Amino acid sequence: MAISRLTETATGVPTGTAAAIELHNLSVQYGTQRAVDNLSFTVPVGSIFGFLGPNGAGKTSTIKALLGFRPPAAGSARVLGHDVVRDSMAVRAHVGYVSETNSLYDGLTIPQLLAFSRATAPRWNGDLVARRLRDFGLPARGRVGRLSKGMKSQLALCLALGSEPDLLILDEPTTGLDPLARHQFLNTIVRDVAAAGKTLFFSSHILSEVEAVADQVAIIRAGRLLVCDELDHLKATQRLIKLAYTEPPPPDELAALRGLPGVARVSAAGRGVRILARGDVDSLAAALRSRPLAPHHLDLVPLNLESLFLEYMKDDKEGDAPDGR
Amino acid sequence: MVAKELLENRWKAGLGGLVALLMAVFAVYSLVWVKQLSPLTLDTPLLSTADRTLVRQELASIEVWTWANWFAKNAGLILAPLAAVLGGSAIAGEVSRGTIFLLLSKPLSRDRVLLTKYAVSATILLLVSVLASVGIVLTTLALGRSLPLGGLAISTVLIWLGSLSILGVALLFSVPATDSLRAVAGALVVALLIGVPGFSPGNRPWNLTAYWASLSAYQGREFPLLELVVCGVTAALPLAGALLLFRRRAF
Repeated sequence: MAISRLTETATGVPTGTAAAIELHNLSVQYGTQRAVDNLSFTVPVGSIFGFLGPNGAGKTSTIKALLGFRPPAAGSARVLGHDVVRDSMAVRAHVGYVSETNSLYDGLTIPQLLAFSRATAPRWNGDLVARRLRDFGLPARGRVGRLSKGMKSQLALCLALGSEPDLLILDEPTTGLDPLARHQFLNTIVRDVAAAGKTLFFSSHILSEVEAVADQVAIIRAGRLLVCDELDHLKATQRLIKLAYTEPPPPDELAALRGLPGVARVSAAGRGVRILARGDVDSLAAALRSRPLAPHHLDLVPLNLESLFLEYMKDDKEGDAPDGR
Repeated sequence: MVAKELLENRWKAGLGGLVALLMAVFAVYSLVWVKQLSPLTLDTPLLSTADRTLVRQELASIEVWTWANWFAKNAGLILAPLAAVLGGSAIAGEVSRGTIFLLLSKPLSRDRVLLTKYAVSATILLLVSVLASVGIVLTTLALGRSLPLGGLAISTVLIWLGSLSILGVALLFSVPATDSLRAVAGALVVALLIGVPGFSPGNRPWNLTAYWASLSAYQGREFPLLELVVCGVTAALPLAGALLLFRRRAF
């Protein structure tokens, strides 16, 4: 997606910037270990972007590169039109961040922590923070160290919202929250960030919550992008085709199935074959029915995000690895 | 950020200040007790004739006694560990608690983060040094004696600059460390090493602490330019190293 930097607003965000985040072949390395490998995708402004992957997939490393905590080993990234290496300060001036660990200064009181956040933010909406503290039922006073893990997550969100960021980056934000608190947390970010036309980029393990709020998703594994698409489009164009044969299909038939257009992954178990199909699934189903070795039964199964995620996470040994888009 | 650093270090500063004040007062007041005991202690065969002469000189002058017991001894023993703890926990403490990500997500340059932490710690060390010196002056006055205030002031500055060297070294260790303990331990080892006397070409004992606790500066015999330069440079070098390292540190 092309980026145009026409003028800058009073807050320093370039107007006309169509992408909140752009990654171009981004790689992040820890010693000799490559945590993020050639990652490229774009997060449009105003989107709610779910960033998914198993543990150790490279989600946090990507976020660290975006915020300038760790320089890219290769490639580049831009946030709100600013290069994350050269203009790291400008990036952080417009981004709110809630870390995976929700580590706050336990020795400070809540008012002291708020004062620190206010002093280090280029702008501050104290009324909004006070409202959200009340909504979450957080105490106005008291030591931060005495709060539960869930309350710290809520406080961290309040602090991030206080600076009225153009982009909110949340790394596993709802870990440790009970379902009610998680619901309230998600409602708050949708109301305060998404409804205001701002961008939300969040990583999560809880796929149901991603499905509930995200309009775009990217799935990564071992630092590599598997898929990046609008969630609705992804669900509409990717389906599971379950085939049942009278006898286990021979290896050359499985190889032929993998070669069919729209087949992202084939996995076989006995007489059953599962195909992760992408694109014109109905045409693919018709092609499968008309093959010389036709299945005696064919089922088209729509996929929710969790099923999709699990399909993408399946070991490559079972079938072809899906291609990123 | 200054307020946050002060709040985070308030207990260390309070404890350091209290210990320094008590030890400084004790360093002066101990002269009264030692004088009462001195006829007995000076007769001990453990002391050589030269040592006996030195002790007699110290006992005769509250000025030399205070220098020997505070600036040349106890001040370093208190300020060096305090500087090591303040500097060692500056970055490593943030890393071990996970708060480094909250801190670095703010639109603050890394130089500003490190220099603010350094400035707050340096101010705490200055206040502790000054507090101890005020305690020395008041105790001396209470004993009906007086000290050279100019020499006391310049010695306070020198001992503070000396503590800044340890602070800088601790900060340098703190940047790559993942826990404060290692950084503090590293800084204390360096503090011990620079306190070990070497020998100058004239075969006179020489080490960095000799500059921090210069007797001639204390007695006002000459302006301690060399001492100030040595203390200033040894304070600035590790700080510069810490700044360079912190700019490049990946988290």
